[in-house]
Amino acid sequence: MASIVPRLEPAPDTCPEFKRRKRRIPNEKLASSHSQHNQGIKRWRTQREQHIYSSKLVQALRRSRLTSTSSSAAREVHDTADRVLAVLAKGTTRWSRAVLTARKTARHKKAKVAANIRLRKPAFNREKRKKPAVQKKLKVLGRLVPGCRKLSFSNLIEETSDYIAALEMQVRAMTAITEFLAAGGPA
Amino acid sequence: MASRRSRSRQSSGSRITDDQIIDLVSKLQQLIPEFRRRRSDKVSASKVLQETCNYIRNLHREVDGLSDRLSQLLASTDTDTDQATIIRSLLEE
Repeated sequence: MASIVPRLEPAPDTCPEFKRRKRRIPNEKLASSHSQHNQGIKRWRTQREQHIYSSKLVQALRRSRLTSTSSSAAREVHDTADRVLAVLAKGTTRWSRAVLTARKTARHKKAKVAANIRLRKPAFNREKRKKPAVQKKLKVLGRLVPGCRKLSFSNLIEETSDYIAALEMQVRAMTAITEFLAAGGPA
Repeated sequence: MASRRSRSRQSSGSRITDDQIIDLVSKLQQLIPEFRRRRSDKVSASKVLQETCNYIRNLHREVDGLSDRLSQLLASTDTDTDQATIIRSLLEE
């Protein structure tokens, strides 16, 4: 498994004991206070979860392939991958709920927001000069993580942590599936 | 910790304590591969946030590329590939 994803670190559970001990100590304080995020550090990082995701993704892709057109196929695959990922979160995080509810309105939203930004820009520039760099970056981060534009600082960080771990698993799983199919599948 | 949390709920960021910020930023720092390697405490919050945004964007791009390849591969290996075989091979790694 470690050879499949050269860019990312090898899946943490190749040495589960070691990593668990190392990470548990600094995170224990945070874990106890944020009771709603009790999923722990191993979420999205176990082989089992990745396999569950891979098989659900393959199933979903086979179903959706019958209806997709060739021009938007890549977009469809990406949407399906995101949707299956969000379903796996079981509604415990804001970003996963946002992914599942935003699918239908996504295209309309993008056009609206683009128009608004063009109109608002001159007025906002004067105020933004006073904002510190951190605030600006927080806003950018809030826009990158789905459904997190108006979150408080600590909630945004929580969502981001979970989102990043989920995305990493998504990359690992899709890479494995791609390599398998590229190798020619079953002979 | 409980009192700090109730304070932060009122504001959008101006009344959160510095300690809380440092705590959360270091938590974020641990997730990003670049900072995990260096393990230094001198990284500024701004830099961590910047790298986080870059990292998420990179991951998005990577998934885009993978989706593209997957869509092409799925189109070419149409009805021949047995779904159960794919899943079984993935599980047997």
